[in-house]
Amino acid sequence: MQTTVDRLDKPSAYYLGRNKKRKYGRDRDDDDVGRQRTPEEPEDPLKDAATLYVGNLSFYTTEEQIHELFAKCGEIKRLVMGLDRFHKTPCGFCFVEYYNHQDALDCMKYIGGTKLDERIIRTDLDPGFQEGRQYGRGKSGGQVRDEYRDEYDPGRGGYGRAIAEERQKEEDEYGKGR
Amino acid sequence: MADYDRRNGGPRGGYNNNRKRHDDEHDRRPQRRRYEEPLHLKVRKQLLGVAESPLKRTDEEISSIAKLVVDNYDDEGIRRQFFDLSLQIVVEQPFKIPFVAAILIVINPQKPEVAQEILTRAAKAIQEYLEAGHWREVKLVLRFLACLQGLLEEDGVFPLLEELFSRAVDLQTASSEDSLGLELVKIILLTIPYAMASSATGFEERALALLDKTDIIASTPHALEALVNPYPGNDEGDAQEPQSIINLLQKQLQGEAGQSWKLACIPRPWNVRKEEDTTDTAVASKKHALPEINIPSPVAPGPRPMLPEIYFSVYADQDIETVPSTSDVASSILRDSLVDTINILDCNRNATAKFLIDLDCYFSAETFVKRATQFDKLRNVEEGRSTWKPEDVAVDAVFSQLLQLPMAEHKLVYYHSVLTEACKIAPAAIAPSLGRAIRWLYKNVDGMDLELVYRFMDWFSHHLSNFGFTWKWTEWVDDVQLPLIHPKKAFMMGALEKEIRLSFAARIRGTLPEPYQPLISEAKEKDTPDFKYSSDRKHSILVGLEPTKLISKEMPYSEPAKEILRLLRAKAPDTDLQSPLSTIEETAESLGVTDPLVPSTDAYVTAICFLGSKSLSHVLSQIERCKDRLLSIGAKSELARRQIITSVMDYWHEKPGIGVNVVDKLLNYTILTPISVVLWALSDQLGKGEGLVLSHVFEMVSSTVTKVTNRVRQIVVARNQPGLPGDQVAILDETLSKERDEMGKLFAVIEDGLVGVAGGSVDDMAESADQDLKGEAMLRGWGGRWLRVFRRKMAVEEAWVQETMSFVVQVVDASGLEIAVEQNGNGEAVGDGAGEEMSEDEALAGIL
Repeated sequence: MQTTVDRLDKPSAYYLGRNKKRKYGRDRDDDDVGRQRTPEEPEDPLKDAATLYVGNLSFYTTEEQIHELFAKCGEIKRLVMGLDRFHKTPCGFCFVEYYNHQDALDCMKYIGGTKLDERIIRTDLDPGFQEGRQYGRGKSGGQVRDEYRDEYDPGRGGYGRAIAEERQKEEDEYGKGR
Repeated sequence: MADYDRRNGGPRGGYNNNRKRHDDEHDRRPQRRRYEEPLHLKVRKQLLGVAESPLKRTDEEISSIAKLVVDNYDDEGIRRQFFDLSLQIVVEQPFKIPFVAAILIVINPQKPEVAQEILTRAAKAIQEYLEAGHWREVKLVLRFLACLQGLLEEDGVFPLLEELFSRAVDLQTASSEDSLGLELVKIILLTIPYAMASSATGFEERALALLDKTDIIASTPHALEALVNPYPGNDEGDAQEPQSIINLLQKQLQGEAGQSWKLACIPRPWNVRKEEDTTDTAVASKKHALPEINIPSPVAPGPRPMLPEIYFSVYADQDIETVPSTSDVASSILRDSLVDTINILDCNRNATAKFLIDLDCYFSAETFVKRATQFDKLRNVEEGRSTWKPEDVAVDAVFSQLLQLPMAEHKLVYYHSVLTEACKIAPAAIAPSLGRAIRWLYKNVDGMDLELVYRFMDWFSHHLSNFGFTWKWTEWVDDVQLPLIHPKKAFMMGALEKEIRLSFAARIRGTLPEPYQPLISEAKEKDTPDFKYSSDRKHSILVGLEPTKLISKEMPYSEPAKEILRLLRAKAPDTDLQSPLSTIEETAESLGVTDPLVPSTDAYVTAICFLGSKSLSHVLSQIERCKDRLLSIGAKSELARRQIITSVMDYWHEKPGIGVNVVDKLLNYTILTPISVVLWALSDQLGKGEGLVLSHVFEMVSSTVTKVTNRVRQIVVARNQPGLPGDQVAILDETLSKERDEMGKLFAVIEDGLVGVAGGSVDDMAESADQDLKGEAMLRGWGGRWLRVFRRKMAVEEAWVQETMSFVVQVVDASGLEIAVEQNGNGEAVGDGAGEEMSEDEALAGIL
């Protein structure tokens, strides 16, 4: 039954949205809540998920710091740092895998949206880490969100890479300080 | 999904003005057609929001909902929504129980069938909760019924309470260690005030008679109270008498009976209505019979505290009362509602925090001073008016859970997060309250249970990490000079270390005033500690960061050690390593080292740490590669196995948190054994007891113990799965008895190590007896504090296993023992379990 307050241990709109697009193509946006699942459809991949995607980390946050915080919700089985595809340096996300599903849910409830290294971090339930997913999918190797970010974020490499490039080009063409 | 948070957002809440791309569409958007909310949603929204807002008049809200329901009673959707949601609010948002009850009382004169239906449903619900042993829900539904006492025929809830009491008596006579009976009495005592504050009258005698009966059970001091005393004190005294919740409650209610049941803090939303229109409501209101509720006999056990609950407050000794004193029944009534709210709503800490901030909305108007009233301003409060700060009362309740012994209901980080959110929602109100709580906890850290000291430390550092690491360290500046073995200094060092682990050394140093600077050494900023066998090491010895005595110990091995490092780095096959390792062992033998495997292990493990120093993943893959050899070390020599720990902790001695983590992983690989870790900490590194002062040593031992106890628990849970075939049960029983043996041995080793320190009989200690009496007393205190923690842990774990195993037996009994014996073939085990339980009770008592 629906609880009288929202639960914080539900997958994010991002995750649900992504799945919807995959299933129905971009245009369909029907709400499929409450629809009966047909037998061919796979079970909810998050039913026993013990892995979390963790986002909005600083590029400088270390594995040890992440471990220190996330171990408060249970023993960590594996921690995979998100890396820049080209430079193999941290690019601001990671996967934390617990031994238990419940620990991952608790982490959503108690740690997602709190601070690590003085940044509000985001957690999302994840069906499980697969090799290759540790790399940024942005054009220049980092995360897509860091490509076109027009706010300056010192913890994540300054301006978005594409924006920074543009600024640099402008500077080169028109001279410094313009 | 729920409506709770929706209010904040609104349809355009997430719109980001910085983004220009939608600007042109903006004006052309067609105006949305006015949307009439379906009535059942309107009922839902109003009911969920009842009493929530300090800006709305609660009596108007109540009559508006009542009117909606009465006017639209034909609408099945509305009826269903109202009935379902009302009862759901009762068990999910306990603050609102009196207000939901008030709605029914208002509806009753016009539509008595509404109350009838609710009562039927409530009775059905409570029946289910009783049968499942869900005692919190039983308590909350009972409270709801007690608030409706005025609608009930005859004696209302009292016969039910009396029957509950007779069950408690049965349980108490059966065993002196019974905790379930106490829980029942607590439920009775927490129901009485609501029945007495209800619209019903004339139950004074009845309540007093019931109180007389509960007195014997509630007032008898529990044998195990001392085990969960949060302030057992130390050698210099400081002990505080623990006050059991149930005992306090009994006294407070007796006091309240003497003051004609004033019960000032309980809201009376049902009263307002009566004053307004005296015409028909009160008179014409139809009364209802409480549907029959059968309390099973014996009652079902269920989740409940196994050890007595102690009333805990961080605001007890202030010169102005900011929370109700323990002589006032309000302290128990407020605390109970708050604790339930906190523990029920763990699925949404934001909702919990909002309830805490809005606490004053749910109790009678005169209960608190205005929100965020500064502590100093309380002196100006008129004589006779309340000085209770709602935020202090709320924060106090969170701390009572965070610092609950033997364990809290949820993971401790939940309570951290509630305080963080509360602080975010209302910083001006909450932050000063937290400040006073921190000061009080720190001031009393010397006499506090050691486990609680570490919970406090963990919360403190985590909390600061969410708020820019700002704390007024200048307040404690005098304590910087204290010796390391002083509990306050140890707390300070531990807290700083924890802060660094969540951040980094330079950042934390930057938050500290000048006198604290030496507490964070330069060496902590170094990412990769030196490989001690390299010549670089001379430098660090010169600046005095390493104990100089190590120099002579390692120098003879430096060449082969460097070779080991080179080979490991080159990922050479393991066989190549034998030669340099043998060289070390031969040299060691020629130097007369008793166990030559020890220095070779040191070189090997130090090289692994050095190569893996970049991150946890690096050291893990390094360990993975060296797994076989590491495993073989322990098999050959126990001393060498413990050397692995020494080498890891020595390499990471500036960042012990990393060392502890590596040790933990080595345990998972079974390269280390739990006993070896405990022996390392409580024998090898113990000294005169100085080892006990370090927070990371406690962390290491306590996480090792938890690993072992969790394993035992997992086996018990697996064994108790319904429908497990008999042969598998037998296998699991065997494993269980083996693991319980191991657990017992582990606790015995801990006991051995600590008893020496606590009793002052460690060899070194005797020698220096006259040199430093004060220091020695402090170390004895540390020994005693450690001992309490692990004795309690042992008692709790053993009791848990007993209880869980015997619960299964009871279930089997109920469903027919013969069948169970046939299926499981464990008829004997049934008998054994019962026999052991007796001895277990004695064992629990013996600990004191």
